Amino acid sequence: MFVLPPPPPRYTIPVAYAAGAANGMAVPVVETNNTITHPENGCPLQVGEGTYILQDDLLLATPPPHPSEAPIINPNPLATLPTPPTTGVKLSLVTLDPKKKPPTFLKSAVTAPQFGDGNPALAAPPVAAKDASKRRKPKNNIIKSSSSFVSRVITHETSAKRLCDRDWNGVFAFANINRAFQWLDLSSPTKEEHLTKVLFTKAHMLCHDINELTKTSSHLDIVMGSSAGDIIWYEPMSQKYARINKNGVINNSPVTHIKWLPGSENLFIASHANGVLVVYDKEKEDALFTPEANGHSEQEIGRLPLDILKSVNSKNQKTNPVSFWKMANQKISSFSFSPDQRHLAVVLEDGSLRLMDYLKEEYVCAMLIEQYDPQLTSSRVLDIFRSYYGGLICVCWSPDGKYIVTGGQDDLLTIWSFPERKVVARCQGHNSWVSCVAFDPWRCDQKTYRFGSVGDDCRLLLWDFSVGMLHRPRVHQASTRNRSSIVVPNSQTANRNRADSGDNRMRSDSNATAKFNDDIEQTSHPVEPRSRTALLPPIMSKIVGEDPTCWLGFQKDCIMTSSLEGHIRTWHRPSDSVIKS
Amino acid sequence: MKALFSKGSKNGASNPPATAPPVKKDLQVPQISPLEKRLQDMGSIRDDGSDKFYGMENYGNTCYCNSILQCLYYSVPFREAVINYPQRTPMDSLEAALAKNLRYQNPNAHLEAEALAAKQKASSPPSARQAGVPPNPNQKPEDKESPEYKKKVALQTLPILETKNNAASYGMSESLFTSLKDIFESVVGSQARIGIVRPQQFLDVLRRENEMFRTAMHQDAHEFLNLLLNEVVANVETEATKQAFTEKALPPTESADSLNMLTPSTGSKSPNTTRWVHELFEGTLTSETKCLTCEKVSQRDEVFLDLSVDLEQHSSVTSCLRKFSAEEMLCERNKFHCDNCGGLQEAEKRMKIKRLPRVLALHLKRFKYTEDLQRLQKLFHRVVYPYHLRLFNTTDDAEDPDRLYELYAVVVHIGGGPYHGHYVAIIKTEDRGWLLFDDELVEPVDKSYVRNFFGDRPGLACAYVLFYQETTLEAVMREQAQENQAPTTAAADTSEAGKSNGSPFSPPLAHAQSASQVPPDNTTSSIPLSRIPTAPQLSTYPEEPLEPHPASPRPVQPPLPPIPDEPAPPLSPKKSDHQLRKERRAMEKEKDKNEKNRLKEQDLHNREMQRREAEELKRAIEASRADTVDFAENGSPRKSSSFGFLKRGSRSLSHRLTKDKEPRVSTSDLSTSPLLPEVVPEAPLKDAEPAQPVNKPVESPVSSPRNFPPISNPKQPKQPIRSPEALVKDQHTNHTKPGHTPRWRSFSFKKVA
Repeated sequence: MFVLPPPPPRYTIPVAYAAGAANGMAVPVVETNNTITHPENGCPLQVGEGTYILQDDLLLATPPPHPSEAPIINPNPLATLPTPPTTGVKLSLVTLDPKKKPPTFLKSAVTAPQFGDGNPALAAPPVAAKDASKRRKPKNNIIKSSSSFVSRVITHETSAKRLCDRDWNGVFAFANINRAFQWLDLSSPTKEEHLTKVLFTKAHMLCHDINELTKTSSHLDIVMGSSAGDIIWYEPMSQKYARINKNGVINNSPVTHIKWLPGSENLFIASHANGVLVVYDKEKEDALFTPEANGHSEQEIGRLPLDILKSVNSKNQKTNPVSFWKMANQKISSFSFSPDQRHLAVVLEDGSLRLMDYLKEEYVCAMLIEQYDPQLTSSRVLDIFRSYYGGLICVCWSPDGKYIVTGGQDDLLTIWSFPERKVVARCQGHNSWVSCVAFDPWRCDQKTYRFGSVGDDCRLLLWDFSVGMLHRPRVHQASTRNRSSIVVPNSQTANRNRADSGDNRMRSDSNATAKFNDDIEQTSHPVEPRSRTALLPPIMSKIVGEDPTCWLGFQKDCIMTSSLEGHIRTWHRPSDSVIKS
Repeated sequence: MKALFSKGSKNGASNPPATAPPVKKDLQVPQISPLEKRLQDMGSIRDDGSDKFYGMENYGNTCYCNSILQCLYYSVPFREAVINYPQRTPMDSLEAALAKNLRYQNPNAHLEAEALAAKQKASSPPSARQAGVPPNPNQKPEDKESPEYKKKVALQTLPILETKNNAASYGMSESLFTSLKDIFESVVGSQARIGIVRPQQFLDVLRRENEMFRTAMHQDAHEFLNLLLNEVVANVETEATKQAFTEKALPPTESADSLNMLTPSTGSKSPNTTRWVHELFEGTLTSETKCLTCEKVSQRDEVFLDLSVDLEQHSSVTSCLRKFSAEEMLCERNKFHCDNCGGLQEAEKRMKIKRLPRVLALHLKRFKYTEDLQRLQKLFHRVVYPYHLRLFNTTDDAEDPDRLYELYAVVVHIGGGPYHGHYVAIIKTEDRGWLLFDDELVEPVDKSYVRNFFGDRPGLACAYVLFYQETTLEAVMREQAQENQAPTTAAADTSEAGKSNGSPFSPPLAHAQSASQVPPDNTTSSIPLSRIPTAPQLSTYPEEPLEPHPASPRPVQPPLPPIPDEPAPPLSPKKSDHQLRKERRAMEKEKDKNEKNRLKEQDLHNREMQRREAEELKRAIEASRADTVDFAENGSPRKSSSFGFLKRGSRSLSHRLTKDKEPRVSTSDLSTSPLLPEVVPEAPLKDAEPAQPVNKPVESPVSSPRNFPPISNPKQPKQPIRSPEALVKDQHTNHTKPGHTPRWRSFSFKKVA
C-alpha cells in the first residue's frame, strides 16, 4: 500500500495557558474555587411580559497554567507566532425532567430518516441488550488516565453523595473554561461547587454537546471538541472517556462546533476551522483519512461549494470518519440542525450562510419543490446567503423551522425565511459582534417569535418579531430591479426553481465541476441593500457584565448567559410568562 | 509588453554587474527569511511596484512616517497615481536618477560582525569566570528572535535604497509630493525585490516645511497622514496652476501628450487630473441640523480625507461609526443659530456621509484628553474591526450607499501613552497576503494576526488607523476561495512565521494554525499517490533537514560576494530547453567549486576561532554537569557536526549550548574536504523539483519556484526572460487582482518612446 506522510506535528509543548494569557485573560497561579454572588437589584431585564430578575452570577474559576507551561513574562505584542484559538465559556445543559422540555411547533412528528439510512455498511450491529442502563461506555477511565492529553481530574469530595441525593429532574451543566471542563449541578443548593473538573494539558475545549437521546440517570454521552482538533467522548457518571480524531489523524484543525446528530445514539458532527464538516461515530476507531475518489482534481478541492471527500454512503464504514465534507477554505463558525432534523444551516467566517440537506449530503434546493416533485431534490441547487459584511458567527432555527437567524461581524442579526429563501429583516442593536443567538421556545407561538442574542459588547438583547410585521411592503417597493431571490408568490418561485434545478440536474453529474461553478453564480443570493430590508429594533438591551458575553440559553424557568471570563448569569422569568401553546 | 522585453534585455546589457541583485543561491543560503520564502515564486519583476517589499529605515522616532508611507504605497490606486503624476519617469532615466542608489551589501555582513563579536567574547572569558558564573548559560548577547536584532541584521544585509531629489525631471519644484514620488519611483524602479529604503530626503523636506515634525520626538501617525495628504493636494495643485500658466503660453508639449496617453485609464471624470487625491480619500459629510422650533432642516456639506471616531469599551468600528452619526442635541450654551426663525434655537444635529471615499481612512481616537490628569491618555478599549465593512451612516441620497470596503492596512500603536511608543503597519499586499512592516523589518503574517490589535491583549499594541478600500463582493469571494489554497507556500509561511519574531518565552507551538490553514486533506488527499514520495514536505515539517532551522546555531558562513556568480535562471524550468539546463548545471558546478574554495579559506579562518570556542565549551561542560550528560546522550558529535556545519552551525557559543544540544566541539578539527560531498545531495533536488508541480501554488503556473529575483542575466542578454505567453498570463493575473476597480486595473505602464 501507499504510505501517506504522517500528520503534522502537534503542539510541541502545552500552550493552553499561554493562549489564555495571550488573549488577555487574567490567569491565576493556583487552583481556585468557583464563586457565586447574588446581586441585589442587579441587572433586571424589563420586557412586556414582566421583569426577569438576575438570580445569581456564578464565576467559574480559571485554572492555573499547567506546570510545564512557562508564564509569558514580557509578551512581545508583535510576535508573529500564531496563537491557538480559544473561546469563552459555553454551557451544555441537560435535564431528565420531561416537563422542562421546550415546546415543539412542528405539526407532525419528526419523520426524517436516519443519517446514512440506505447504507448497509452503516447498519448498527444488533444491540445485545436494549436495557438503557447497559449503554456502552467509553473505554478509558479519565481519573486513572495516564494520557498526556488529560492533565488531571478533580472530583468534589462529596460528589458521589451529591449525585445520590439529587433531584433527578434537576439540571446539569457542563462548561469549558480555559483548559478546564467543569460538571456542575445547577439544581443543587451548592451549585457553585463542581462535581468534577477535568483539566487538559494540550488544548482547550472549545465546544461540547450532550446526547439527548441516550441520556439516563446513570449515563450521559458528552462529546467535546478541542483547539487541537481532538475530540473527547466523555461519560461523566462512570468517568470514562475515549479520544477520537486523536492527534488530529482525521483532521487536525480546531473543532469550532460539535453536535450529536439528532436521533442518533452514536453519530455526531463536528465543524473544523479549515472549513470541514466531519461526521464521527463515537464507537469507531480512527483511521488515517484518505479522501475517496470523487473525480475532482486537486486544485478543485476546496473551491467547490461542497466537496464530499467521503460520503456517508461509502462502503468503507469500519472506521471514522463516517463522512467528510469540505465546504470552503474558511473557518466554519457554527451550524444548527433544523427542528425537522433534515437540514443543516452552516455559517462561515467568509460571511456565508449555507443551507444543506445533510441527509442527502447536498445544499438544499427550494423546499417548495419538494412538495411538487420530490425527484428534483436530488439536483444540487446552492443556497448560499451572504452577511451584510464580515464573517458570520452564530446561527439558529426558529422552533417551527420557518426562520433562521444569524449573527455576525456586521453587528447585526439577520432573519432569513427558510421557505422563501430570502432576507426577512436585519436587526440592529448590538454595538459589537454578535456571538450567540437563540430562540426562546417558551415565548414563541405560531405568529410571534422571541429570540435573544449576546455579543462582544457585553450586552444581552431580546427581540420580538411577528409574521405580520415581516411582510411590510417596504421590502417590495423596489423589487423591479433584478434580483435572484425575488419575493413572489410561491408557485412562481417554485416554477423558477424547478426550471433552474432541472437544468442543474442535467449537468451536475460527478465531474461537471466547471459548470458547477456557473451554478454558484446563479443561485448564490446577492446581498440585499440596506434600503430594501426591514430593520428590526430590539425590545430590550442590557449590559450584563464587564466582559464579552459568549453564550445564551433559554430554559423553562430562566435565561442564562455565560461570558468570556467565566460569569454564568441566571435570570428567573417573571411568573406566568410562558405562553401556553 | 514590448517595453518589458526590451527593458529586460537592456537592463542586462546596461547594468554593470555591480548593481545586479544578490541572487539567492539555492544552495548554502545561510538563512532564508520568512519574507523571502513567501516571495519565492514571484516570477519576473513587475513594473507596477506591487512586488516590492521594502522596509524603511528609522531615523529615531520616524516610525510614524514609515508606517503611513507603507500604507499609502500598498494602496494600488494611490501608488499608481503618485507614480504617474504628472508623468511616469521613463525607466532608463529613472535608473540613472534614482535606482542607481540601490546599494547592495554583503549579505553575510552580520555574520562577520558576529564572528568578530564572538572572537572578542572568546578572548575575554576570564571575566565571566571570575564572576563565578559558568560562561555558558543564557548569557546571550542578543536575542536572535527579537525584532531589534532582526532589524539590525536587515540593515546590514539587505540592499539599501537611497532616495534622491529628482523633482526636476518631473517638471516640479521639490516638495513633499516630489519626495514621496521619489521614494515610490525608486522602489518601483529598483531591481531588487526586497531591501530597505532610506526616506531621509523625504524627512528633510517634511521637517523643512513643517515645524511640528522638526524634533526627533514621537509624532502622531494620524496627524502625519492628514498633513501628508493635504500637502500632496497642495503641491499638486500649485504645480498644476503653474503649468497651466506656462502651457497657455506654449503650444501643447510632448509631455502633455504623453500625459494624456498615460492617464486616460485613471478614469478621472473631471479633466482636472490633479484631483486624484480627492478622488481616492475624499468623502463628503453632510451635517443636517434640524431646528426644533421651526422644524427647518438646514444642511451643510464638508469634505473629509479621513474620519476620526470616538471609541467605547467593547465596541466595533461599525458601532463607532454609527455613534459618529448619532443625533446630537444643540442646546443650552451650544444653541444653533437658525436663519429661518432667527436667533439661537435648540436643534438636533447629525453628521452623515453623503459621498463615500474610495479609500476610507478610519482614525480610532485612542488618545483622549482626561480632565483630572490634564493630559492625553491612551484608551485601551477593545474595539473590534472586521475584514470587510459597509457604512451605515450614509444619507438617503448617497451614491452607492452599500459600498463594500475591505480592510487593507492597519497602523498599530504600541505603547502606554501618546507621547512615546512605536508604530508599525500591517498591510494586505496584492498577492502576497498580509505583511508586517516594522521599520526595516518586513515579515509575513497570518491573516488572523490582523486581529491581534483590538486593544485587549497584553503588550499595549492597539490598532490606531484603519485603511479600508472599496471592493466588490465578487472580488471578495474570489479571494476567499483562493485563501489557504496554495498548500506549500501557506504552510511554509506559517511554519516559518511561527518561529519568527516570537518572544523568547513563547512556546514553539508549531502547527496549530498552519494546520488550520492547510488541511492535511488538501495536501495528502489531493496528491496522486505515486507522487507522494517525491513531494518535498518542507512546509509542515520543521525538523526536515532541508529547512534551515532558525533556532539552531548557524555556521560562520563564508561571505558571499555581492555579485552573484550564478544569474537567476531566467526561464521557468518547465520551459527551459536542454541546453539551458546544461549551462546551469555547469554553472552550478563552477559555483560549487568557488564555494568550496571559499569555504576552505573561511574554514581556515574559522578554525582558529572554533578552537577557542571549543575551549570555552569545555569549560562550560565542566561547569555544568547536566550539560555533560546531554552531550553524552547525543552520540557521535563528529557526524552531526559535519552536517550541521553546512546547515546550521553556530554563531554564539552560549546560544548553542543552551538551545541546541548538537555538539560542535569537533568542528575545530573538521577538515576542509568533507564539505564538498555535502553539497551534492541537494543539487539533484533542484533539478528534480520542477517535476513536482504538486507543491506549487496554483496561481503561479509559470514561474520557477527557485528563480528568485529573476532578472535577466547580464552575460546572456539574448535570452528572453520568459515566454510571451507566460508574460501575458502573468500580466493578466496581475491585473485581475481583487480589490481594485477596473479603471485602475487597466493602468499599466507603457514605455514612452
